[in-house]
Amino acid sequence: MATESRDVTQATETDRELTMSRAMVEAIAWEMRENDEVFYMGEDVAEYGGIFSSTTGLLDEFGPDRIMDVPISETAFLGAAVGAAQAGMRPIAELMFVDFFGVAMDQIYNNMAKNTYMSGGSFSVPMVLTTAVGGTYNDAGQHSQTLYGTFAHLPGMKVVVPSTAYDAKGLMHSAIRDDDPVVYMFHKRLMGLGWMPSPSGPKTPVPEEDYTIPFGEADIKRHGNDVTVVTLGLHVHRALDAASQLEDDGIDAEVIDLRTLVPLDTETILDSVRKTGKLLVVDEDYQSFGVTGEIIARAAEGALDDLSEVKRLAIPDVPIPYARPLENEVNPSTDKIAAAIRELHE
Amino acid sequence: MVSVNELRTMYEQMVTARYYEERLQEEYLVGKQPAFDISAGPIPGELHLAAGHESSGAGVCIHLRDDDTVTAPHRPHHIAIAKGVDLKKMTAEIFGRKTGLSKGKGGHMHLFDPDVNFACSGIIAQGCPPAVGAAMAAKKRHTDSVAVAFLGDGAINQGGFFESLNLASVQNLPVVFVIEDNDWAISMPKHRVTDVTDGSQRADGFTMPGERVDSDDAVAVYEAAGRAIARARDGNGPTLLEVQVHRRMGHFMGDAEAYRPESDISHSKRRDSIERLAEDLRAHGVEDDEIDEIRERAHERVDEAIAWAKEQPEPDPSEAYEDVFTNPPAQATTDGGYSDSGSTSDAAADGGEQ
Amino acid sequence: MTEDVDVDSAAIWPADAEDVDEGYLANWFVREGSAVDEGETIGEMQVEKVSIDVTAPTNGTVTELVVAEGGEFTRGDVVARIRPSA
Repeated sequence: MATESRDVTQATETDRELTMSRAMVEAIAWEMRENDEVFYMGEDVAEYGGIFSSTTGLLDEFGPDRIMDVPISETAFLGAAVGAAQAGMRPIAELMFVDFFGVAMDQIYNNMAKNTYMSGGSFSVPMVLTTAVGGTYNDAGQHSQTLYGTFAHLPGMKVVVPSTAYDAKGLMHSAIRDDDPVVYMFHKRLMGLGWMPSPSGPKTPVPEEDYTIPFGEADIKRHGNDVTVVTLGLHVHRALDAASQLEDDGIDAEVIDLRTLVPLDTETILDSVRKTGKLLVVDEDYQSFGVTGEIIARAAEGALDDLSEVKRLAIPDVPIPYARPLENEVNPSTDKIAAAIRELHE
Repeated sequence: MVSVNELRTMYEQMVTARYYEERLQEEYLVGKQPAFDISAGPIPGELHLAAGHESSGAGVCIHLRDDDTVTAPHRPHHIAIAKGVDLKKMTAEIFGRKTGLSKGKGGHMHLFDPDVNFACSGIIAQGCPPAVGAAMAAKKRHTDSVAVAFLGDGAINQGGFFESLNLASVQNLPVVFVIEDNDWAISMPKHRVTDVTDGSQRADGFTMPGERVDSDDAVAVYEAAGRAIARARDGNGPTLLEVQVHRRMGHFMGDAEAYRPESDISHSKRRDSIERLAEDLRAHGVEDDEIDEIRERAHERVDEAIAWAKEQPEPDPSEAYEDVFTNPPAQATTDGGYSDSGSTSDAAADGGEQ
Repeated sequence: MTEDVDVDSAAIWPADAEDVDEGYLANWFVREGSAVDEGETIGEMQVEKVSIDVTAPTNGTVTELVVAEGGEFTRGDVVARIRPSA
């Protein structure tokens, strides 16, 4: 933690700002230079540089043995990452869209996530599974989900969801160095792609040197006293926009960016709820049996007496629809977040 | 032996499909130039165009009836057109309109038309198992319907494909798997990710024949597909076909194809199965005037479908809550949660009941 | 006083986009007043859907980001200016 605060200071002093994709790539490149055991494999990660620019430029520096295009065989290559990790390497395997997990879930949740436990700790699986998540660009039900809750629900995986370039880099360093399997879920809309413009928030100053952000430390992206908003990924930025809209009306919202779902920083949430008494959870995953329910349950378990009111906004248990008005309806908007904060404040 | 009328039909389907992709390309780029923003314009999201694939859809589907099932992958338009999917409703779907095939819920990778038993999956190779299921249903019901699963060459390394071949084989099901080999899995050339150059060799591990059509000659596809579909219809089991096609446009619109050698792009564009089929028509005594007429009729039909689609209303936001279930539960699962905010609550409750 | 050095879009135009003249400024990684090194990636432009890094032609300080992020420009337009360090 001391290291992180040092880095934050440096970050504010640096002139250089990066997109989230470039920040991720910088961390991967640094780790690959330091450790020959790190390699990256996935579909279209070599010449193409990753469909969402997750590996841009890495092939040039590290060559095709370490930046490896693989067949469209997710069961084989995600399972191979598990095997290589168990053999002591540090593979990073990319699942192009998280929605594609369906064809390879066995390798993910029965092997990657459980082998440490089922071996009584005699095996470890130090791999990173990177994957693109999220909607807002009308790609319909098989290419727009976040599935945050699905991965966080199944025990044995650490789950990381960065919302800014600074966090993306530090969390990537931590993910690669971690001895456990880490699912690193990057939101397409936050990557800074020319063809899918980001909101202004995710591009941040990023120190050139390496730094880690510990898992299980939520980040309070905006301090406030009236309403606690807990969220992650793209919706951190929507919540911040909503909070600033409400400033003029004297509503002071606190926005907590979870940054990691597993481990989950319950204390930061409870501290905030004890202060505000009002909790809104915003999630781009399906509502039922997911992140929103979990956060509210933890708040109820830990700070029930302080809670006066709770609300949640999430995808209302429908597959993500294609047409623009339909997707806009189900994906919690800045306006809906602002309205929910306002209702809680009243 | 192909008849001149069949040549006419295939030609019309192929020029329809080619012109359709060219027109969609234009419509897709509206609002996306010079800054390409995938979520802008009248057709948002990914768009995978099939220019150069037409011979596959036309040469296979000409042997099919409405009661035969087809499953298509993320690049489905030419197959849908050849199978007889309603062009207007399909176009409205691609434009995200209320009167589209799926009321705007599916989009271009997820076209569904029950009238002609057509369905898609946007996930690689995942149309194969449902095609096997359609064939299973035909066999159990003692009909002579068949099923055809289309997939790309990149899909033949996917577990769902292998498992489908085995299930179809061991149960002797009336299904044909058609690999459209365009040499590329997005940016990955076939030779780097697939261990065989001839995808139909995948059949060797099962008790089914495999055949490759080494060109995008629609007549050659017609003949090979005819044999395979007749075999299925006669109760003699599955076949694996591979047909050579060309990717004339990028993997998706917005793909700059920086990874692809210029020579490969120009090679793909030079070979034109449609021109070749026009020559076949002429060789069968069809006059140029009639060929022009077919082409113009196809263009008119496409223009009409696009014009119609653009006039269609967008779905109302409240429709997002409909169609999750055929028999919706009495109480929407989101009751009291998300639906609390704003107008959504009424929409959710009403929608859930419909 | 030294004169500002132009960051010329034509100088970094991709060779395979000779037939195109329109570009789009996708990202700036620096702000006005930022110190930069020669060759440093200071931004990202897009021509014909291809992203190209915009690099600093000299050591110095960014005095002006002429084309705003999200802005369009024509080949040959100056996209930024840098005051060389003494």
